[in-house]
Amino acid sequence: MNLPLFSALFAAFALTLYVLLDGFDLGVGTLLLAQRDARSRDLMVDAIAPTWDGNETWLVMAGIALFAGFPIAYGILLPAVYLPLIVMLLALAVRGVTFEFRVQSTNFKPAWDVAFGIASLVAALAQGTMAGTLILGVHVEAGQFAGSVLDALSPLALATGCALLAGYVMLGAGWLRVKESGELRTFAGRALHSSNLALLALLALVCVSAAAVQPEIRLRLADRWIGLSLLAILTLGSAAAAWRSVSGNSDLRPFAFAALQCALVAMGAWLVVYPDVVPFRLSLWDAASAQASHMFLLAGAAVFAPIIIAYSAFAYRVFRGKTSAEGYE
Amino acid sequence: MTLDPALLARIQFAFTVSFHIIFPTVSIGLIAFLVVVEGLWLKTKNPLYLEIYRFWLNIFALAFGVGVVTGIVLSFEFGLAFAKFGQIAGPVIGPLIGWEVLSAFFLEAGFLGIVLFGMQRVGPKLHYFATCMVFVGTQLSATWILAANSWMQTPAGAVLEGGRFVVQRWVDVIVNPSWPVRLPHMLTAAYLTGAFIVAGTGAWYLLRGRHVDFARKTVSLGVGFATVLIAVQVFLGDIVYGTMIQHQPAKMQAAEGFWEEQSESPAPYYWIIVPDQADQKNRFTIGTPYLGSIWLTHSLDGRVQGLKNTPRDQQPFMAMAFYGFRVMYVTAILMFALCFASLWLRWKRRLFTTRWFLRALVLMTPSGVIATLGGWYLAETGRQPWVIYGVLRTADAISPVPAAVLLSSLLAFICVYGLFMTAFLIFALRIVRRGPGETAVPTVPGSPRPPAGLAAFGYTRETDPAATATP
Repeated sequence: MNLPLFSALFAAFALTLYVLLDGFDLGVGTLLLAQRDARSRDLMVDAIAPTWDGNETWLVMAGIALFAGFPIAYGILLPAVYLPLIVMLLALAVRGVTFEFRVQSTNFKPAWDVAFGIASLVAALAQGTMAGTLILGVHVEAGQFAGSVLDALSPLALATGCALLAGYVMLGAGWLRVKESGELRTFAGRALHSSNLALLALLALVCVSAAAVQPEIRLRLADRWIGLSLLAILTLGSAAAAWRSVSGNSDLRPFAFAALQCALVAMGAWLVVYPDVVPFRLSLWDAASAQASHMFLLAGAAVFAPIIIAYSAFAYRVFRGKTSAEGYE
Repeated sequence: MTLDPALLARIQFAFTVSFHIIFPTVSIGLIAFLVVVEGLWLKTKNPLYLEIYRFWLNIFALAFGVGVVTGIVLSFEFGLAFAKFGQIAGPVIGPLIGWEVLSAFFLEAGFLGIVLFGMQRVGPKLHYFATCMVFVGTQLSATWILAANSWMQTPAGAVLEGGRFVVQRWVDVIVNPSWPVRLPHMLTAAYLTGAFIVAGTGAWYLLRGRHVDFARKTVSLGVGFATVLIAVQVFLGDIVYGTMIQHQPAKMQAAEGFWEEQSESPAPYYWIIVPDQADQKNRFTIGTPYLGSIWLTHSLDGRVQGLKNTPRDQQPFMAMAFYGFRVMYVTAILMFALCFASLWLRWKRRLFTTRWFLRALVLMTPSGVIATLGGWYLAETGRQPWVIYGVLRTADAISPVPAAVLLSSLLAFICVYGLFMTAFLIFALRIVRRGPGETAVPTVPGSPRPPAGLAAFGYTRETDPAATATP
C-alpha cells in the first residue's frame, strides 16, 4: 500500500479544509476593519464565535500530519518560512484571545476590534506569503534548508499573500451573507464583489509571474495543461456564479460558489506541486517516515475524521440561522 | 558577546512552553470542577450550583482561549527552532500529537462553542454532555502530550535508522516507562491547581463578606477536593521519584543538590544551595541534618548519590533542576499543611470563619500553577543535555536559523505573551471583583444589547425552567 500518498492526501485535505473554514473566519475578521458600526461588528463576530476554534484546528492537523508523515520536509519547510510563520502564529494568537478579551473589555472594545481585524488580516497575508515562498521553491542542501530566512519576503510571495487575503475576504463576505440580514447583508454583497475582482486579478498576476520566475512551474504547466486549464475554467465559472448569485435570493449560494472557487484554486496549486512535498526538491516518498508512522496516523484519521466532521456539523447546526441583536441567548 | 543559536532556541522554547503550560493546567483543573458542579446542578436543581458554574465558566473560557493559541505555536515550534529534532523524531512524536489533535483538540473545539453559547439552544442535558466532552478532550490531550514528552524522557519502542526513528511497536512507544506514572501526576497537579484557584477565590469573598453562600460552597468544594488530591499527589509523586531515579539518575542527582558520588553520612536535606557547576561543588548550602538520609534513603545514616556519578558531558545544570524541584516540593508541603488544617477546622465547624486560614487560602490561589511550573522545570532541565534522553543532544537538534532571527522572534513572543498575561489577569480579576450573578455592563455605549459570549449566557435563575420547577 502506498501509505505516504494517503498521508499526503490527508494533509492536503486538512489544509484545504482549513483554508475554506478558517478562511471565512479570517475574512470576517478582516472585514471588521471596514465596518464602522460597533453593533454590526458584534454581529459579525457572533457569526464566527461558536465555531472558529474547530476551524483553526484543521491547520494544526495539517501541520502535524506533515510532521508525522514527512518529517524531512517539515524540518526544511518550517525554517524556510520562519518569518511569515512566526508572524502568522502571533497574529492567530492575537485573533484567538481577542474573541474572549473583547467580550470582557469595557472601555477599550473598539481597540480590541481593531486588533482583531489587523490580526486576521496579517494572519491571512502571512499564510499566503508562506504559500508563495514554497511554490517558488526553497534552497535545500543535504536535507536541510540552506537559503536565507529573508527569501520568504520576495515581492511575488507577498503578492501571493495579497491573493490569499482577497480569497479569505471573499469567503468571509460569503459567510456574512449566510449569517446576517439587512444592511450587513448588503455590505457583505459589496465586499464579495470587490474581493472577488481583486482575487482574480492577483491570481492572474501570481500565476504568470510564478511561471516566469520558476522554470519547474513551466514544466509542470506544459505537462499538466489539460487538468490545469480545466480547473482554471471551472474557477472562472464559479467566480461568475458567485458574482451573479449576490443579486439573487439565496443566502447560501454566494458562499457556496466562493468556497468552490477557493477549493478549485487550492486543487490547482496541489496539481502543480504534486508529487513534491518540498516543491521541486523532494517528493513525498523521499521525505516520508517509515510505514509504521503512516499506519498509526492514518488509522487515527480513519477512525476520528468522520466523527469530527459529524460533531462539527452538529455544532454548525446548533448555531444555524441569522445572528440576532440579542446575542446567543 | 556572540549569540548562541542553540541557547536562543532553547530559551524561546522554554519561554513559550512555560507560558503555555500555565493555561492548560488551569483549564484542565477548572473543567473538571465545572463537570462536577454542572452535574450537581442537574442532580439537585440547586440554582447556587448553576451560579458557580456560570462564574467559573467565564474564567475557564479566558484560560482556555490563551491555552489554545499558545499551544498552536508549540505544534509548529518543533520545526521552527528545532528542525533537526523534527526530522529525526517526527516519525514518533508526530503521530502521537496527530492522535492528540484528532481525539482531543477537535473534541474540545467542537463542543466549546456549545458550552459557551449553546445553553438556550440545546437545553441542560445536552449542554452537560458538551461540558463532559470538553472535559474528555482536555484529558485526552494531556494523555497524548504526556506520552510524547515521556517518550523523550524514557524512549522505547523505536530505533534510529539512517538518521530518523523507525517505530517498532507503538504500544511500547506510548506505554514507555515514565508515561504511566507521569500522566496521573500531571492530571492530579491540574486538578489541584483548579481546586486551589476555586477555594482561594471563595476565601477572598468570605474575608470581605460578599457572596457568602456562593463563597462557602466553593471554599468547601475546593478545599475538599484539594485535601483528597494532595494526599493522592504525595503518593504519585513518590512513585514518579522512584521511576526517575531508576531511568534518569542524573536528573534526581541534580535535584537533590549533592555532588560527591557518595554524600556524607548522615546526609542533610538541602533547602538552599549555590552550586558551582565548573568546580563540581556547592559554594554554600542550607540544609536540615539527618533529613536527607531519612527521606531519601529511609534510614538514619544512608548516603545519597551525587551528580559526579554522571559523566560531566552528560550532566544537567544542577541549579535549574534543584530549584525546580524545591519550588514544587515546598509548595506541595504548604498545600498539604493547609489541607490538614482544613480537616480540623471543618470538624470544628470553623472552616468559613477562621480568618488566618482564609487568608492563607487566598495566598495559595496560584500555588498549583507555581508547583506545576517547578515540576516541569525539573523534568525538562533535568533531562539536559539531551532532548531525547540518551539519544539526541539538544545542541544537535536545532534549526539552521540565524541567532539574530531567533532573538527577534523571542522578543516578539515576550511582548505579545506579556500583553496576553496582562489582559488575562485584568479580565480574570475583573470577573472576580464583579462577583457571581452579576451581568457585565453593556459594552457598546448606548446599547441595551448584552455583550456576546459568556456574559450573554442568559441562563438566569428567572428564565431557567429547571430552577423554577424546584419547590
